[in-house]
Parts: sequence; C-alpha cells; structure tokens
Amino acid sequence: MVEIATGRGVYRLAAAAPLEGAESSVVLTLAMERADGIERVVTRFRIACELLDQPAEVDAIIERMKGWLSRQFETTREAALKAIRSERRLHEITFDLDSRGPF
Amino acid sequence: MSLQLIPPDINLDFVGKRFFFVALSTIVNLVAIFLLLHIGLNYGVDFVGGSVVQIKFDKPTSGEEIRQALGALELGEVAVQDFGAKSQNQFLVRFEKVRNIGSLGMRIEGALNENYGSSNRAHVLRVETVGAKVGHDLRVDGFLAVAVATLFMGVYIAWQFARVSWSFGAGAVIALIHDVLVVSGALVLSRLEFDLTTLAALLTVIGYSVHDTIIVSDRIREDATKRRREPLESIMNRAINETLSRTILTSGTALTVLASLLVLGGPILRPAAFTLFIGIITGTYSSIYIAAPVVLFWERGHRIKGAAARAA
Repeated sequence: MVEIATGRGVYRLAAAAPLEGAESSVVLTLAMERADGIERVVTRFRIACELLDQPAEVDAIIERMKGWLSRQFETTREAALKAIRSERRLHEITFDLDSRGPF
Repeated sequence: MSLQLIPPDINLDFVGKRFFFVALSTIVNLVAIFLLLHIGLNYGVDFVGGSVVQIKFDKPTSGEEIRQALGALELGEVAVQDFGAKSQNQFLVRFEKVRNIGSLGMRIEGALNENYGSSNRAHVLRVETVGAKVGHDLRVDGFLAVAVATLFMGVYIAWQFARVSWSFGAGAVIALIHDVLVVSGALVLSRLEFDLTTLAALLTVIGYSVHDTIIVSDRIREDATKRRREPLESIMNRAINETLSRTILTSGTALTVLASLLVLGGPILRPAAFTLFIGIITGTYSSIYIAAPVVLFWERGHRIKGAAARAA
C-alpha cells in the first residue's frame, strides 16, 4: 500500500479499477483514501504509453506518482472533488510528452 | 427612445397596505417558527456529523437494493438518494453513525460488489465524514454567525441613521429576522439540505436584504429632510416609489441568474441557489413592507423626529 503525507494527513493510494489500456495511453483510476478512512476521492490519470515501462504495471505507476501527488495533492483533490460533486464524473489528468508530470 | 420599466411618476400606495402585509408576514413567520421547531431543517453532514458516500453503478439499481446490500455493514440509519440524471446511475448514501470508519469506502464497495456481483459493479467515487462533535460545533457557530450578522447590521444602520431616527435600525433588524425565518421555513418545506454552503447563502441573503433596506431608508431620510412638513407616511411612499425601478431591476436581474442556477446548477448547488432565490424575493419585500412600516409604527405616523427638530 502506497502512502503519502499531505497537509490533511496520511492518504493511501490504490487502484480503484483495473488499468485500462488503449493504443497510445493507459488510464489509471486512482483512489486516494485518508488513512483513518474519513475521506476517499477517486480520480483518473491518462498516461501516454511512451512515458511508461512496458508492460505497464499498476503498482509501479502508483509508486512513480507518489512524489508528484504529494506535491500536487491539494490541487488534485480539489479538482477531483469538484468534478465528482458538481459534474458527477471523474476528473481526468493527462500526462504525455508535453506534460510529463511525474514521468 | 429609452426603455422605461417603471414610469417615473408612479405613485403606488405601499405604506397604506402596511397592516395587511405586516399581518401576513407575522403569520408566515409564525408558521416558519412552527416548522423549524416541529419539523426542523434537513441538516447536511456538515452540521449533524456522519458520512456521505457517492457511488456509481455500471447499471441501474434502486435505493432499496443498495440499502439491503449495505445492511451487513451495520451502518445504522442509511439514507439513499438518486444523484443527478437517472442515466448516470449515481447515488448518495448517508449515515449518521459509523462504528468503525477505517477503510469505509473499500468496505462499502466490497459489500455492494459482493451483493451485485460482476454484472453491476459499484464504484465509490467519494467518501466524506464529519464527526458528531464537529457537526454540533459547526451548527452552533452557524447559528451564532446568523444572529451576530443580523444584530450588528441593525446596530450599524441604527448608528448611521441615528441623526434621523433610531427606528431605522429596529426596522432593519426586524426585516432581517423576517427574511431569515421565511428562508428557513422555505428550506424546511423544500427538505433541501442545509449545509455550510446553504449557511453561506443565508448570510448572503442577510447582506442583500440590509443593502436593499439601506437604499429605501436612505431615500426616506433624504426626502424627510427635503419635505419637512409632509407626513412620514407620504414621505415613505414617495421614497419607495422613487427607488422602485432600481429595486425591481436589481432583484430581477439577480433572480434571473439564480433561476438558471436553480434549474441548471445541479443538486449540489440547488440548496444554496434556492436559499438565495427565496432570500432575494423576501429581502426585497421586507425592505418595503417590513422595515418601512416598523419605522412608521415607531414614529406613530408623525414626521421623523430629526427632520421635525431641524424644521423647528
């Protein structure tokens, strides 16, 4: 279980759904759950295949995203909550060659 | 040729109908107090504590089925409601007391998937929990915020208009209490959720209402100085008629925006939009039919003391 320390406490990162693969990218549905269980937010990451080691593995991707998510936690959480509450959909963040994020 | 919504020489007798409207408002306020005491607001998780879980299913299901599937978790009283369009298959599940919060999202997802099987997978998108103590503290703080805002706005107006009459402050406070009661009563009847966003909307209503009251009161003060020998009733009618165009345009445009927000804003924004919508209507009404008559009752239909004194 991957954990990150944030201003809101320790959050656990886990895949909320199996990795979805497409020709050029994979989609990771990630659940960020506070360690005491009082909050859980799910968001999606679309990652270009060029940025990943093949074959792509969920645990390795989450491990690589750990540092980036710690730094971008507030923004990511807010955007994810806003999309779920107001638009009733999962927020999606894209990482590709132009915007590599943690990769 | 300019567009003229209200003729400049309009002269409606607002103050003459004050007894009817004050009686009507008193009845509405008494009903609102009754509703608040006997039915109560539909407090959200923010104020009562508990958890709210947003779940998405792959296929349609019903609230009853979800409740049954969650029965094994012993979550206590569980409320399930549709969330958004039917085609989205999303539900909000609320419960007030959770014995063991740890990994709540995963446990709920597990229980649902065990019950529904792979044919209709459940996805927990969001879990938010507020402790009962925090909820209670927020409720007390929220009530204090409304009470203090109302009181201090009344004190401020009383101070600003003190040279003319203290009654303007009393009028503003009574109008604000009227607005808060009407909006709260409407929220009780609508059963919309009262959460922190709704509280912010209620405080905004107080701000809007006092703003509208100041506009009317300021014109009364101005006219009272200009027309020192005219009865206060006539001065008030003139002031309200003079500000009518501004009142209707300001409230009308705000209500247009809020109506769209109410219809198109979605379930999360609906309680706040509803609060503002009702609040702006009642805030506009109270500036004319509550704040002004209170001043009139206070002054017993004579000229405002300050104006009379200056005229002497």
